[in-house]
Amino acid sequence: MINLLPPSEKIIIEAGTPFIKQYGANGIGSLKAWWSQKVGIGSYIVADLKTMDRGGSEVGAAAMAGASAATCLGLAPIETINEFIKKCEANNIDSMIDMMNITFPFEILQRLKKLPKIVVLHRGADENNNKSKKIPHEQINRIKGAYGNILISIAGGETIRDVTRTFFNNADIAVVWRSFYENPKETARLAEEFLKSAR
Amino acid sequence: MILERRKKYLQVALNIRATTSDSTYIIADNKCADLGAREVEMMATAGANAATCLGVAPIETIDNFIDECKKFKIDSMIDMMNVENPLMILKKLKKIPDVVILHRGVDEGEFKKEKQIPYYQIKQIKGSYNNILISVAGGDTIREVQRAIFNEADVVVVWKNFYRPNAETANLAEEFLKNIK
Repeated sequence: MINLLPPSEKIIIEAGTPFIKQYGANGIGSLKAWWSQKVGIGSYIVADLKTMDRGGSEVGAAAMAGASAATCLGLAPIETINEFIKKCEANNIDSMIDMMNITFPFEILQRLKKLPKIVVLHRGADENNNKSKKIPHEQINRIKGAYGNILISIAGGETIRDVTRTFFNNADIAVVWRSFYENPKETARLAEEFLKSAR
Repeated sequence: MILERRKKYLQVALNIRATTSDSTYIIADNKCADLGAREVEMMATAGANAATCLGVAPIETIDNFIDECKKFKIDSMIDMMNVENPLMILKKLKKIPDVVILHRGVDEGEFKKEKQIPYYQIKQIKGSYNNILISVAGGDTIREVQRAIFNEADVVVVWKNFYRPNAETANLAEEFLKNIK
């Protein structure tokens, strides 16, 4: 699939949670190598670890494998998130806190010793069948208003419309997977189309 | 093999390669947070006898996870780490899991010493759901194992003393096992 993607530094490659569970650090390393061949030093790989415990050791393993960023669950113990952010800084990779299943991300951010680089606002894949759950676009400007330096990533929307709405609402990153996963042959066309809205 | 009620078990968490035989009971501690069905299939196919899902995951994920575990005939374990009231989660579920794990995280244990393993919840949960087995994780001393068993836990999870195995590891396992007869 990486072969089919256009070589753009605007594309971030995510090693998804099931992917990491299946292929581990070697998998992350392979993605890094393949994507680097295509875009050079600007290649950016997110290890979607969804850390829940042992913040330190998981970050170390992902960074060693070549990840540029890693994720930690906002629902993890505060001690784990603090340790995760600290270890990300020590390893020179970006820290992403995934706010899946959290009604008020603010309450988590306020309790942290240091802010993460990126906050992921997330409607889970399993939650997508529950139509009453919306992607919380209104949180983007609220979080940016309170913490100017944080980048916001939005996950859980899959259509061009969702992605356009994400950037219109001031998000910095839009995460998509299902449309690629379900139509691998369409990868190149889909990516071009999504990139248009990320201009 | 699936876990039997009325028996006590010692769960040794490995983070290394281990050689196993057919009668071994393997738990995949995948701590599923999303995509419940896909992870269960992956773990069951690889040979796991049980898999874990986070209690803080969306309810839809936990429901999918438990359904899929039943389909693949493996035990479903819900890890209640950082969940203040596990009963609230259990009440929202369509079906109850086979095992509930009461868990003090490793980072919590190290950086916040006052955080206790919630032994009192064992009887609370067993009182409401008599078919659920309770596993207790986060205590690593003999004393903590004794306390978990005394409080009616069915499975006790240990790892710290097994993480770097040495000549003492077998003795240690024997000693732990004495407590769960």
